[in-house]
Amino acid sequence: MKRIVSIGAVLVACLVGLVGLGAEPGAITASSEAKRDTVDVKIDNFTFGPQELSVPVGTTVTWTNRDDIPHTVVSTDKVFKSKVLDTDETFSFTFDKAGTYPYFCSIHPKMTGKVVVQ
Amino acid sequence: MDTVPLHAVLTLILELVMGVGLLVGGLLARLRRFRLHAWCQSVIVLVNLFAIVFSMMPAFRLQVIPMVPQKLGKSYYALATAHAVLGAVAEVAGLYILLAAGTSVLPKTVRITRYKLWMRTVLALWWGALLLGVATYGRWYLPRR
Repeated sequence: MKRIVSIGAVLVACLVGLVGLGAEPGAITASSEAKRDTVDVKIDNFTFGPQELSVPVGTTVTWTNRDDIPHTVVSTDKVFKSKVLDTDETFSFTFDKAGTYPYFCSIHPKMTGKVVVQ
Repeated sequence: MDTVPLHAVLTLILELVMGVGLLVGGLLARLRRFRLHAWCQSVIVLVNLFAIVFSMMPAFRLQVIPMVPQKLGKSYYALATAHAVLGAVAEVAGLYILLAAGTSVLPKTVRITRYKLWMRTVLALWWGALLLGVATYGRWYLPRR
């Protein structure tokens, strides 16, 4: 009887392990999908990088000011507008609709970028 | 220069021209051309008022005031604030001289008696504000690398 219980315990343990292993790739996929939904744009040396970006609908774009002076991120079509971003401050916006979203820095209007949402 | 908005370039040029203009105006007083001196300084004080109201104040209100005083430790906010304070004092003092010397709207008790001292002090304040303005322009609009 004890032997049957032991074998059962080992089998259950193996099953749990297998389920765990099976769950692992799914979790990674979910997490990588979450990562894929967020795209970073760096503001450095008076430039948005990348200057032009193509992303799927639902993507959140995060701008980070790496410059040592303030910048803003303002949509030309008034869809989004950040506050003044100091060094290392960020601004995020989620694009829920397809389209082309040009933007600029309102302090330095010749600094421009574009997000294409497909 | 690619990063500089046009209004900032025009304001800087205008302010530099006016700074030199005030020195020329001072020279006119030394040459005893007082009427010309009065016109020169008055026009500059009034044009500067327009530059403050229509170019510098809107940018300062949007970009600097929300960050003051909590971020005054950052050089770009400190420079802009110092420039604004000194510039405002110089402009108000300039308007005061203009009213006191050029009109009779002020009561006798607040009229100026020591014109030279006032005018020279305001000229020094003006140039201090101008130099701070040039530094602010460089800090806000020109890449450092």
